Amino acid sequence: MPVISLFAWLLVIVFLAFIACMFEDLESDVGSQSNPNSQVQLAPEMGYIHRYYNKAISGEGLSYALACTIAGTIALLLLLKFEPTYGPRAAILAIPVGAAVGSISHMIRASVCYPGRESAHKRFEQPIYLDVFYGHLVPIATHNFIAVICITGIAYIQSNLTVLSGVSGASNPFPLPLLCLIWGITVGAIGSSTGDIHYGTEREFQDRPFGEGRRVVYHGQICRYGDCGIRTSKDIVAFCAKYGGPATGLTFGLIVLFENWRTVIGMMLGGLAGAAWNPGIAAVSGIGLGIAVAIVLIVLNTWLVRWARKKFGPFVGE
Amino acid sequence: MTVTPAVEEEEKKEEEEKPKEKFEFSFDYFNESRLGLFALIVGAIIAVASFFPPLPAFVKGIGAMLVIVWGADSVRKTARYGLGTGVPSIGVLAVGFGLAGAITGMAIGSEIYHYFGIIGILGILAGVAFMAVVGYVSGVLANNEKFIGMKIPGLERGMAELAMAGTLAITLESSIVAGTWYSAAIMSPIKGYDVTPAAFFAVIFILSGFGMLQPYNSCLGADERRGRTLLMAIEIGGINCIILGAVATMSLGAVQGVPLIVLGAIVWVVYYRAYMKACMAEAYGTPGTGLIKTLGG
Repeated sequence: MPVISLFAWLLVIVFLAFIACMFEDLESDVGSQSNPNSQVQLAPEMGYIHRYYNKAISGEGLSYALACTIAGTIALLLLLKFEPTYGPRAAILAIPVGAAVGSISHMIRASVCYPGRESAHKRFEQPIYLDVFYGHLVPIATHNFIAVICITGIAYIQSNLTVLSGVSGASNPFPLPLLCLIWGITVGAIGSSTGDIHYGTEREFQDRPFGEGRRVVYHGQICRYGDCGIRTSKDIVAFCAKYGGPATGLTFGLIVLFENWRTVIGMMLGGLAGAAWNPGIAAVSGIGLGIAVAIVLIVLNTWLVRWARKKFGPFVGE
Repeated sequence: MTVTPAVEEEEKKEEEEKPKEKFEFSFDYFNESRLGLFALIVGAIIAVASFFPPLPAFVKGIGAMLVIVWGADSVRKTARYGLGTGVPSIGVLAVGFGLAGAITGMAIGSEIYHYFGIIGILGILAGVAFMAVVGYVSGVLANNEKFIGMKIPGLERGMAELAMAGTLAITLESSIVAGTWYSAAIMSPIKGYDVTPAAFFAVIFILSGFGMLQPYNSCLGADERRGRTLLMAIEIGGINCIILGAVATMSLGAVQGVPLIVLGAIVWVVYYRAYMKACMAEAYGTPGTGLIKTLGG
């Protein structure tokens, strides 16, 4: 039954990836990180004083690489210390503690950004609102914790897959911090590319014709007022949690699912490292399946775009 | 006034807690060139000396912090001309250069040490010099109109400095983890564990990268001030020392690791406080809460 358990662990990883990327996107929305941040940064320069949190640690990919790598490092240290005594149970302690250290470090880095960037806006009369500053730190740390603990869990599963699934050679040879670095960059990149669009178009720029990019004239003219009162970045999370976050999580989960599903199916067709193991057949069938999946996705996306254009009116200038 | 030392200490503590105290921290003496030279010389001396395992990890930590401040200053110098979203890329470029340079330097130094003895410890500087040349050439390629033509003033010098700072940072931080930069020690398992110091290169890479890229990225704006940016660079150096101290406690024991953690914690607390005070003092205002200014009003 090793194949079944390999599939089972694959699905666990996909589920963790879904949760991780959903919370990654929501966390980036708490502080308007990454792409929407450029407009938050620009707004005071154009005369639009706002109450958004300006969390410019770096791009999402890098800042998640950092938080996840610190989490992976601390987890690895604890595993090395406690695994000889307590066996695999050490992971129950190591992964949450590692993730906690990673998210606290992330919060500290996030806390220096808002004062730094807003005090650099002195001449545009943008003050540092202390309630905005204090009120966003805990949501940043908690959302980040969920994302980082999932990523550290994925990296742990990957590096112990031989023991967990019983398929020999399934473990990843990379050390835990390096796996966390790679997964962190990936989760940040997907969260940035998919989730920011929802935040940016639906929340920062609400009054915009369908399909139009933002004209340069309107740069920095973000929506500063909420449904009731003045909008802060926290209000955006509740909105994005309904659609943007889950959609981002789904994107990352599907990427991980399709990518690994085709590899495992290919390995099965190739004999799964048994007596009849044929790497050639495994590789060819895996790649063939991947191409088939890509074609199906392209067709579906084309159909979706056509449907949306028909339903929501033509693009401006079309 | 005569006071006993205990009272004096208490008074000092009280004074520190008072928010009205004005914190002045000036980098006027250490302008860009002086800071660069100072960090290069001190960093190079510590990098050469860190070949010897008895050198305490906190000395290497101080060297790494200095070099990271230099790197952050170079990122500021390079990215000031409107690169905007390119700031993190510049920092990662620096540590990318640094990883290549550090491995080159470690390999050359270890090889010379293997054949010719103690003179080989200077070989680590070969990596620094090599990366200075590579960085300069890449700066020329990026700036020259025949190639990319970015025309950023001072890019050549900035790139060379970034590459050198990255190399020294990676060298020092990997010698914190392994005790030395001797390549045999870095590639062989840590005593008693099934993992090599090379397993921690990922965290070394990203930590030193963030020390260089985050200060300018987080302080960027029209009223950005160099002193404030560099305060944050030192603060991030403190965080790096805490995390690397945890790793060093595992790999080399508490004697090496704990002083580094303590150093990192002190540096972090002092400079975080100084940075926050500087920001709050220099901002347009720090209201507890408030409405936003409407257009034209």
